Amino acid sequence: MTQSHPTAHGEGGRPHERIIKRIFLLPAVIYLLLLSVFPMLWSLSISFTDYQRGAIRTVVDVGGDVPAGEAAGAETPTGQGFRLTLRNYERMASDQRLHIAAMNTLTYVIGGVLLQYVVGFLLALVLHQDFWGRNIARVIFLMPMMVTPVAAAYMGRMLFDSRLSPQAHLQRIFSSLTGWEISIPWFGDGRWATLAIILIDSWQWIPFMTLLLLAGMQSIPEDIYEAARVDGASSFQIFRKITFPLLLPISLTAILIRGLEIFKIIDIIVVTTGGGPGSATESLTMYIFRTALTFGNFGYAAAISYALLVLVILFATLFLMLGRRFAGQNIS
Amino acid sequence: MKRKLWQRTLLYTVVVLWSIVCLFPFYWLFTTSLKTPLAVSRGPRYVPYVDFQPTGDHWRYLFNEQGRTLARHFRNSLIAATGATIAAVILGAMGGYGLARYRYHWRRFFNWRNDNIAFWIISQRFLPPALFVVPFLLLYSWLNLIDTHIGLIMAYIMFNIPFALWIMRDFFMSLPIELEESALVDGATPWQAFVRIVLPLSAPGLVSVAIFSFVFSWNEFLYALMLTNYEAITLPVLIAGQNNTRGIQWWYISALTLTAVAPVVLIGLVLERYIIRGLTAGAVKG
Repeated sequence: MTQSHPTAHGEGGRPHERIIKRIFLLPAVIYLLLLSVFPMLWSLSISFTDYQRGAIRTVVDVGGDVPAGEAAGAETPTGQGFRLTLRNYERMASDQRLHIAAMNTLTYVIGGVLLQYVVGFLLALVLHQDFWGRNIARVIFLMPMMVTPVAAAYMGRMLFDSRLSPQAHLQRIFSSLTGWEISIPWFGDGRWATLAIILIDSWQWIPFMTLLLLAGMQSIPEDIYEAARVDGASSFQIFRKITFPLLLPISLTAILIRGLEIFKIIDIIVVTTGGGPGSATESLTMYIFRTALTFGNFGYAAAISYALLVLVILFATLFLMLGRRFAGQNIS
Repeated sequence: MKRKLWQRTLLYTVVVLWSIVCLFPFYWLFTTSLKTPLAVSRGPRYVPYVDFQPTGDHWRYLFNEQGRTLARHFRNSLIAATGATIAAVILGAMGGYGLARYRYHWRRFFNWRNDNIAFWIISQRFLPPALFVVPFLLLYSWLNLIDTHIGLIMAYIMFNIPFALWIMRDFFMSLPIELEESALVDGATPWQAFVRIVLPLSAPGLVSVAIFSFVFSWNEFLYALMLTNYEAITLPVLIAGQNNTRGIQWWYISALTLTAVAPVVLIGLVLERYIIRGLTAGAVKG
């Protein structure tokens, strides 16, 4: 955010001006108040009730198993009549499945962000060079980003198939050549499935990191490099002392954006593992979705969604604090 | 600076390898859509005519027998994405212009000024959509908006406004202010100056915003899954639904998926520079 921007018209001004400036901004603000702020506050109040609803059928079954505690709740009459309660928030402390979902979400966020940043950075360094075919390469690199995550998930599911996919074929060839029996159970095992989900998300979003970092690299003035070269700095020194520190601000922005986006992950998981095996790959968003739609437990779903919000805010604040301290040290 | 041979080799190796990583899934999807069920289940087959005999059956099935369903869902996606895009571009351009050119001071609202307002608006983009699951379900069933186009469009406008406004604000701030001022001196109203002078100059920014809104809405899954159940189902939900209704028919899913991603991939191929401009607008300076 820039602090000072050119402003055509001063504060207050003629009454005519006060009206026109509201006409510009207020539609968007009112829209957000109605469809974002108001629902959020409503959701907060629901989280303090035991509001139940009948299950809602969706086209894609994200059901999963109804936990034992939920069965009793589902029998209470749906709709009207609910009490104020703090039970939703108490229940969070002992809900194992919630803790697993929270851990999974953090794993996706941290794993995804790290992988995407490192690979994205390397690719940006490559694209920053002058070479024949660079424009074509940039278009190709961009393509995964355009794809519907659901489609990317199907591609991933095919390519990580433990029998029919090329990489399974490679594993078999490798096994028969070396005698080491390897057969990765991609979606059959919680940890491998988590990795596969991170890889699919990364396939899609590494280009995002690359393009942002590339733009950052291109905005570094050439004479800084010239000066460094004249002083006899090696390529590695130039990278460590110039490129990397100057890219830190944009790196932080890119990582923050990606991190916040991965917190929302649901579509890839629904298509690849459905949250399984068990609930080993379930994300918070998915758990909230199931709690609301499949179990009809609106009160608890609202409460968890606020827990997710707190987690997101914590992540962003911590990250920005660390980032600022780290960036400050490096640049000065 | 002339590069050494090994450096050039390394450079091209990386570029080619990553291009393969990017493109192979598309290739695999395409060839799978041409395989008979038998060719799929017999393990990986790589090259048509060489290790399997391609067939157009699945494409024919998709466009003939399933043609009507496909057309309906394609239309749903198109309506939802286009509607949301138009509204988001209009609201975003107006709001972005306001924040770029006027000074706001909300005395009764946390004493917010322009930067606070802009930050609040962009922060809406990063709220987890899960927050809206419960209230939207209640609101939409109360307003009878479940499974309607207008309902889906309303939700999509909500998450497209922040991004649109942010990019447009950035764009307007980079435009010289003199043109508008001379128009105002000539007696144009601020609104006329905005519509007749600023907007035409902002075409590249508007195109970026439109592309982003369209692609985000086209690819959106969570709201579509939650708010539609038959009539208004969009393509991502339709594709995800293939998961359980008839077991995994890879050959059919591949054809369907390719059809669904074709429009956005084409947009990416043709309008790449607008996408990069939009991506970098907010973030590089932000």
